Amino acid sequence: MPLQISSSPHLKAKADTPFVMLQVVVALIPATAASIYFFRQRAVFLIAVCISVSLLTEHIIYRIRRKPSTLGDWSAVVTGLLLALTLPPATKWYAAILGTLFAILVGKHLFGGLGTNIFNPALIGRAFLMAAYPKMMTTFTEPFSVDTVTSATPLSLQKFSASLTPLKELFIGNVAGSLGETSALCIIAGGLYLLIRKIADWRIPLSLLGSVIIVSLIAQFLNQANASVLFHLLSGGLLLGTFFMATDPVTTPISQKGRYIFGAGCGVLIMVIRYFSGLPEGVMYSILFFNSLTPLINRYTPRHPFGR
Amino acid sequence: MVVIEEHKHPQHNIKSQKFDNPDKLYLPVSQHTGKPASVCMEKGAEVEEGQLIARQNGYISACIHAPKGSKVTDITPWYHPNFGRMESLVLKCTKESKSYKTRSNVGGLYPEELLDIIQKKGIVGMGGAAFPTHVKLKPPKNIDTLIINGCECEPYLSADYRLMKENLKEICKGVELICRIVKPKKVIFALEDNKSDVAKKINLFSSIKKFNIPGLETTVLKSTYPQGGEKQLIFSTTRRKISGDKLPLDVGCIVQNVATCFAVYEAVYLDKPLIERMVSFCGDALEEPKNIWVRIGTTLQELFEKKILSFAGEPKKIISGGPMMGVTLDCLNYPVLKGTGGFLFLNRDAKNYEEQPCIKCGRCVDVCPMNLMPLMYAKMVKHEEFGRLNEFYIKDCIECGCCAYICPSRIPLVHYVKTGKKYAVADK
Repeated sequence: MPLQISSSPHLKAKADTPFVMLQVVVALIPATAASIYFFRQRAVFLIAVCISVSLLTEHIIYRIRRKPSTLGDWSAVVTGLLLALTLPPATKWYAAILGTLFAILVGKHLFGGLGTNIFNPALIGRAFLMAAYPKMMTTFTEPFSVDTVTSATPLSLQKFSASLTPLKELFIGNVAGSLGETSALCIIAGGLYLLIRKIADWRIPLSLLGSVIIVSLIAQFLNQANASVLFHLLSGGLLLGTFFMATDPVTTPISQKGRYIFGAGCGVLIMVIRYFSGLPEGVMYSILFFNSLTPLINRYTPRHPFGR
Repeated sequence: MVVIEEHKHPQHNIKSQKFDNPDKLYLPVSQHTGKPASVCMEKGAEVEEGQLIARQNGYISACIHAPKGSKVTDITPWYHPNFGRMESLVLKCTKESKSYKTRSNVGGLYPEELLDIIQKKGIVGMGGAAFPTHVKLKPPKNIDTLIINGCECEPYLSADYRLMKENLKEICKGVELICRIVKPKKVIFALEDNKSDVAKKINLFSSIKKFNIPGLETTVLKSTYPQGGEKQLIFSTTRRKISGDKLPLDVGCIVQNVATCFAVYEAVYLDKPLIERMVSFCGDALEEPKNIWVRIGTTLQELFEKKILSFAGEPKKIISGGPMMGVTLDCLNYPVLKGTGGFLFLNRDAKNYEEQPCIKCGRCVDVCPMNLMPLMYAKMVKHEEFGRLNEFYIKDCIECGCCAYICPSRIPLVHYVKTGKKYAVADK
């Protein structure tokens, strides 16, 4: 009778890493569907390119590093899909491929692979494209436009032409923007799914959105001409970033206290960029900046042992 | 703290059985925390049931008695779940079980006499750690609260629950005796909400003052793991916090397991040493999971040979103790010890997990009942940074296994903690 010998505990929770990653993919289904609905074949094309390049790159890297392939853990799919959802609909195919390559190669594997990367790989890919193709990455198209009619995003319109997009359109997602960021409704649905299934911790979304609300309330109080709280919440990449990038376990603080700091800091920085910088939107840079601060936050927010 | 599927059904609803005619018994000289007992019988000696066969050796130690009238056939190293092999007395049972008569003058015994009986009858904590009870009941500080632990938070196990269902009055008499020794102001009977039927019964006893237990009350706690851990239980019932380097008596508490209370009752009222206990045999590799009264020293082998237990298919994993803190065994030669609450036989439920890279999700930190950061221990042990382990209070870890249970990367965090503790000790 051959018996297994192992260390306790002998029971394990069902949720392993592949399960967690798969749940993120599931939570992204509404946003993905919205992107396909609004941007049609462009969305399908970019999502397909990003996911397949991401999987292929990951596979080759595991071959080179002679490590057992973890393609089955869905993390490469999450990275590819998230990157695709942050791209403008008119992104060219070569840019999408380069961005994904950069995300997986530099963002993830140069740092050691799953679990050891400092920055969110999808956002690193996007930041790379922003530097490499600034024009392409800031040229947005109208939803449903087959012949790519360029248009400004609601945040740009508000910032540079002082014209406000109706909140209803923002909520549904019938506005110009990156593929997966336009429909607040679909992102919130997916985000709530993550929170309810306890895949993502609620502390970062709460503190991030909370600080955005507080800062925009103050701004509106100081100057009536500033856009409303709801406008700031629903526009740009805020919700997508909050629910799917700022909650990435690898690149965010470990302790609950640290997560509050991370979220609140991100929220404030996003609003600072939106109000004071030359850019209309700052979600990507804010999250990347706080990713880099995560080790420091971890260091100063250890959990206090019970009774000590 | 984590919520785990309980797996206690159906054995917790089945009346316990008794098995008291084993052929051979194996009694390791160390079944308790502290120094091993010293053997006081020659090879070949005839012993009566309940006769002392190994004497308490030092202050923190406990006596061991013959569970049956028998002959000492050998004194040899034998299988022990915690130590691998341990010097053991091998008894060949020759006589029928003895019957015990009730002592008449229990009410007249002084606390010192009660304590002496508990010490001489080899009573140890039966919740798992097997700490000698006579030491625990002689605290150097004032005790105001006695907590009776009936939580049984480990999944699968239901021996304590069966004991409370079938012998609650005797348990309460045991609590009465303990109260006479430590004189608490308050006695809290702590149960999980899956045992609220027991709580109702105790509340009834308390309302009609059936027992002379001062300030008896029940607390029904949420069924979470490790609710029955000493420090967690004291916090849940009294809101007093005990850090890793302190003991319950530092905050004026003593915790006693219900099975220990029952053993105290038997020792004082029946003059019966700790030679028998209720053990849970469960898991999906058993035909019929059940709770059995067995003599200490009975091997698993014998229980299967005598058809008391039978396998439903080949077991893949056998565990002494519960699924969260138990130790895996490599064969059926292991005996029941004083601190054994159960054995687990797993077939389909025995899974092998491969360690994946840590994704720093912080779930282990969120669930740690001692508020520690288990992922740091894994990292430091892997990198051999043993010097930093104490900075993160590794010794506070109670090894409950919540972190490794919840870890999505299947990192054997408890294993790393156990390794780390050894090196952290060597470092200082």
